[in-house]
Amino acid sequence: MCCCCWEYIVLSDRWRCTLPFIVSFDIVKMAAAVTSRLTAAVCRQFQRVVTVSSYTQPQCATQAFSKFHSCQRRQTYDSWWFRSSMNNRALHTSCVRRGLEEFFDLPENWGEQTVKSGAPWTGKQLRVKSNEDLHKLWYVLLKEKNMLLTLEQEAKRQRLPMPSPERLKKVERSIKRLDTVVTEREDSLRLLQTGQERGRPGEWRRNVFGKTFWYRFKEHPIPWYLNSRYKRRRFFEPSHVAPYTRLSLEKYLRSKIRKEKREKRNQKMLAAMFPKKTALV
Amino acid sequence: SLNKQRTILNQQRDQYPLYQLGNPQLRIFRPTFNLTLVRPGKEQPPDTVQYRIPMEMTKFDVRNYLEKIYSVPVAAVRTRIQYCTNKKRNHSNQRVKRPDYKVAYVQLAQQQTFQFPDIFPEKDKKYEAGSVEEMQEKFMEDEHQRQKSDPRRGGVTEWFGL
Repeated sequence: MCCCCWEYIVLSDRWRCTLPFIVSFDIVKMAAAVTSRLTAAVCRQFQRVVTVSSYTQPQCATQAFSKFHSCQRRQTYDSWWFRSSMNNRALHTSCVRRGLEEFFDLPENWGEQTVKSGAPWTGKQLRVKSNEDLHKLWYVLLKEKNMLLTLEQEAKRQRLPMPSPERLKKVERSIKRLDTVVTEREDSLRLLQTGQERGRPGEWRRNVFGKTFWYRFKEHPIPWYLNSRYKRRRFFEPSHVAPYTRLSLEKYLRSKIRKEKREKRNQKMLAAMFPKKTALV
Repeated sequence: SLNKQRTILNQQRDQYPLYQLGNPQLRIFRPTFNLTLVRPGKEQPPDTVQYRIPMEMTKFDVRNYLEKIYSVPVAAVRTRIQYCTNKKRNHSNQRVKRPDYKVAYVQLAQQQTFQFPDIFPEKDKKYEAGSVEEMQEKFMEDEHQRQKSDPRRGGVTEWFGL
């Protein structure tokens, strides 16, 4: 089984980029997962070109990753991209070119008023999945979102209603929940390994206005005492601001006490209206 | 506020680690960038695909994104930023800004072509016999027929009498 890493390179340092990125890997798609089992000895390039004639359900324990019709989308032979005349020449030696097709829905859904879709992924369902599955699901959801955004923009352009706009919300929620689950796992791992509560270091500081806030550290190539812009940022409270800090603290304490007193008064009034002797139970 | 509302996901991502000579290449797992394929306003060459991309993406990002995630061979990418108007005003005469966006023109390699398809084709709707929609459609057709003038008059209006 070819080992696949799902890295995505971004942000070449703009002023230091010399060579183009030549990281050879491919995002594992469900079809690839199936084909790799059957063609274990074949090299990666061939995997893209050689396709399995009979599409089989992936044997991995998870259900369909995408919420809806993901199996149909991965058909290799029935795609309109292949059937269109500009791509159906006598000899076709290029790689599987389903790339741009994935920005659009299945052709049978074009022109429909509504498209059926399932429920979004819940946190509970996502927590059961392994890291690899979650990683793949992220890209599935990302592609689905791209497709829906394309559809939305085209609908605006044609001045027609977008079919089933609730799909966008569902995908966004799924992505948010996936991110929550992944950050949970990262946090717990970091706590276990290093004992650090946060990934990004910081500390409590007081700004010029006397307010205490959590200052998050930023990476700099030079120390702080050489950073003139940082030195202009004052992280101390000037002496003339201290009275106002005290006043705001008093205000806060007063409001807290008033709230507690209000609560007690309310309870007392209720107890007077409904004494315990008259309680049914 | 007038600032673009960014989700917590994007705010966390904005703190990319500092790069100094010799550092390893920055890699992002689980990118949050979304690409929107748009129909070109002006006629484009057959191998050009037009995208709306987030402002923070660069040409290199677009190339890597399409090559790695969509396995689309990219020959060239050109980008521009579209400035949208801040002139419109709402009911309380406040200026309303239409958000700016970045456009990327991607040229495909290996002599591939792309034509933006028609995603909203006209489909003949066939209703089930006895359904509510069929009755409604029939009723509307009858109404239209009743509203039309007599075809024997040859387009002459009723004003002309007889």
